[in-house]
Amino acid sequence: MLRAYAICIYIFLYLPISLIVFFSFNAGKYAMSWEGFSLFWYGKAFSNPLIMGALKTSVIIALSTAVLSAIIGTLTALGLERVRGWLRVTFDALIYIAIMVPGIVIGISTLIAFVSLFDVVNPSLASMGIKLQMGTWAVIAAHVLFNIAVVALLVRARLQGMDRSLVDASEDLYATPLGTFRQVVLPLLAPSILAGFLLSFTFSFEDFIIAYFVSGPDTTLPIYIFSSIRRGVTPEINAVGSVVLLTSFVLLIIAQAVLRRGERTTPP
Amino acid sequence: MTKHPDHISASKFIDELRRYQKGSVSRRHFLGVTGLGLATAVLSTAVPGLRPRKAWAGLSGTLNVTTWPNYFSQENYDNFTKQTGVPINVNVFGSNEEMLAKLQAGSTGWDVLVPTNYTISTYKNLDLIEPLDLKLFPSYDPAAQDPRFLGPGTIDGVTYAVPKDWGTTGFIVNTKATTENPTSWKEFFALAQGPLSGKATVHDYQLTTIGSAAKALGYGFNTVDKNELAEIEKLLVATKPHLFAVTSDYQPAMRNGDAAMAMCWTNDAAQLNRDMPEMSYRLGKDGGEIWVDHYAVIKGAPNREAAYAFLDFILTPDINAKEIEAHGTPTTDSRVLKLLPESILKNPILYPAADQLTALEYGAAETLTNPDRAELMARFKSA
Amino acid sequence: MRGSRPGMMNLSMASTSRPKLVTTLLLLPAGLFFVFLLLVPLAVVLIFSFGERAPAGGYMPAFTLQNYMDLPARGKAFFNTLTLAPLGTLLTALFAFPMAYFLAVKVSPKWRVTLLILVMAPFWTSQLLRYYAWMMILGNKGIPGWLAMVGLDVRIINTPWAVLIGAVYGFLPLMVPPIYVSLEKLDKRLLEASADLGATPARTFWQVTLPLALPGVATGSMLVFILLMGDYILPQFLGGGKVFFIGNALVDLFLQSRNWPFGAAVSVALVAIMFVTIYVYMRFVLSKTDTRRAALV
Repeated sequence: MLRAYAICIYIFLYLPISLIVFFSFNAGKYAMSWEGFSLFWYGKAFSNPLIMGALKTSVIIALSTAVLSAIIGTLTALGLERVRGWLRVTFDALIYIAIMVPGIVIGISTLIAFVSLFDVVNPSLASMGIKLQMGTWAVIAAHVLFNIAVVALLVRARLQGMDRSLVDASEDLYATPLGTFRQVVLPLLAPSILAGFLLSFTFSFEDFIIAYFVSGPDTTLPIYIFSSIRRGVTPEINAVGSVVLLTSFVLLIIAQAVLRRGERTTPP
Repeated sequence: MTKHPDHISASKFIDELRRYQKGSVSRRHFLGVTGLGLATAVLSTAVPGLRPRKAWAGLSGTLNVTTWPNYFSQENYDNFTKQTGVPINVNVFGSNEEMLAKLQAGSTGWDVLVPTNYTISTYKNLDLIEPLDLKLFPSYDPAAQDPRFLGPGTIDGVTYAVPKDWGTTGFIVNTKATTENPTSWKEFFALAQGPLSGKATVHDYQLTTIGSAAKALGYGFNTVDKNELAEIEKLLVATKPHLFAVTSDYQPAMRNGDAAMAMCWTNDAAQLNRDMPEMSYRLGKDGGEIWVDHYAVIKGAPNREAAYAFLDFILTPDINAKEIEAHGTPTTDSRVLKLLPESILKNPILYPAADQLTALEYGAAETLTNPDRAELMARFKSA
Repeated sequence: MRGSRPGMMNLSMASTSRPKLVTTLLLLPAGLFFVFLLLVPLAVVLIFSFGERAPAGGYMPAFTLQNYMDLPARGKAFFNTLTLAPLGTLLTALFAFPMAYFLAVKVSPKWRVTLLILVMAPFWTSQLLRYYAWMMILGNKGIPGWLAMVGLDVRIINTPWAVLIGAVYGFLPLMVPPIYVSLEKLDKRLLEASADLGATPARTFWQVTLPLALPGVATGSMLVFILLMGDYILPQFLGGGKVFFIGNALVDLFLQSRNWPFGAAVSVALVAIMFVTIYVYMRFVLSKTDTRRAALV
């Protein structure tokens, strides 16, 4: 009976996704009435400068976010291992606040804080020909904030579960602290850093609401898809969605393979 | 035709000649626009010519245009990029309020925007758009514009925005889904609460939703009177549970039959009716909105030169005609009118009988910033 | 001495300054982010919530409590969010539990991870497009259309039901993994022992399996609850402007009516509600799961 339930859940999860993929091959103009098989919309999507531009913006944002979050989040987890007392408590609190404050409030607060700041500083910067404004950088900054917290938690969980004797052994062998870090700690942390990197990339690539508030004149893929859905989707968007879907499946499988190898080399 | 983006039509040539004779364009412009076409224009209706490339030389960067959904011809925009080397980045918005909100929220990276008539004075007062330098886009000819639509873009004699196209706000009825035959906003709201309960949509837009409800109650479209607004809120809130949705993006719901009646703009009506003849567009006989959308240039636009080159390009009659054909919104330019096919000119959705237009009103600037209307709309939506 | 020091990297020698410098450098980037992108902006929101709307929209400095007194004008949005978000979380947990149990207990280890990834994978695809697909499935040409053929007049799209279906659909991929992780730790010998001692399967489930899974359920629920409380896309797409959440009200206030101070007050209220709820939840649920686990071992 549980097996039947599981099958139902898989159908439930994949039915809408298969609809998206199915209609990406639709020859007709409207996303949900079938008029024959065609690859027309794939060609159309990939020659649409708006879609490609939005895709590029999203990839830049997601990659920058993932790299920055993975680095800063790992540094934070390592740093927190070295402190106690008020600093530790404060950082723990900040990490939880960053995760608990809804994305929409992060978007709003970033927006109004920076717009107010720009209103003050832009007049004096104008003489230098500089004009600060919202844009891709603001999306990256707001995404990194949230994802630092995610990566820090993931890496810390790994650190706490780590076998201390390895570090001790390394030190007994007179490895320099940096050498110990590079040769012992980093490889042990790698799976969780990678997991954090992937999660950050996904959250960032998928995010609509924060970007909606702070992206200024820049358009990300979710913002483009949002406005397309509002005005009635053509199979063009289904085509882009299907390609993104395929890419993320491939990445997911690769990531899983890497993570598994990581697990095998480090018995829990 | 699309293979020769540089053609000039005979009628355009004549237009240019007249303008030149009238002195409304410079000789340089006249020769520039007509160019090589001069010799052959009399021989054929469409021949390759030259655009005034000189004005467009030395452009670089990207042009950021903000407009409404389904409101431009991608082909035209691609041609602009081909001719100037400047790619266009398009942002679309759901309402004027959203556009203003984004501008106020520091989205200052845009160059060209498409404001509706009633918002222009506010943009000007907030110092968000610049007075247009008409010399920089000679293809725009005020003399060719329908004088009905020239008012909103000009403030104290200074042109801040030039007309793009005009239209109306009425409602569309799927005559296959219902036998009801509403002709006024009063009937619209009565039907929405009654026989078409669960099947009607209104805009997610204060101007038209509050305005049309005001007309149903016999008030002015632009009312900001607190007592009248209170009555309007009662009507809207009473209608809310019966509505299918509160949305400005009603095309999908009308197409798949979720909705049978929707508050609707000209261009959406034309597009729906083009694909589904059973879609019938009506103007409320008790009133409603007539609107003109404009092109304006943002103050401090990062790519000001390209913005003006874009205006010059897009307002060139034959190019503008392609715009109109793509999105189905009536033009304000008599030169463009001559280039449009019969099917568009005879379409009663685009060009309703003149007597139907008399009851319609322009939106008033006050409605854009009036806090009571904004709050009423927000309360209606969250009701 | 080594063993008494906290942490795993023995770089820290509290008496020397270099390790302190290292610690500072490690924590500085995150510290800067937390200060300038979290604390300062949240403080700005708090300050703005006492201000007034400028005549053309935006913010005007003032000190008034009016924005907080106006909160009841968004009562329905708060009500919808505060009922549908917990309900959606609960339903998601209910649907996720048997799935996680199946994966952790019934599936052979060889297939477990693959099948788990299949549950999570939808989360890696465009949320917007997935909800769009549901708009079609729940719309006139979808399930209600088929039901109409057998004479049933059912409306789902733009009702709270559609939002709940969307919540379960959207967040199941996030709820299953944490429950799976806690169930996977479940020692099967415990189940056998329980059975050997004469416990019925139901009793075993209630007294052994469920308590063990609770931490996972608690983690997953918190995650889903946080996301649902601030959601905008789900009520926008499947609620059609009829099932209004706080998120929709906020988008309206900032991107339509440009009433920043009122929007700030709504944001403060939302964050306050979340902090209180989560605090109570952690106190109540998490402490309870801990004691039960302790009692079991």
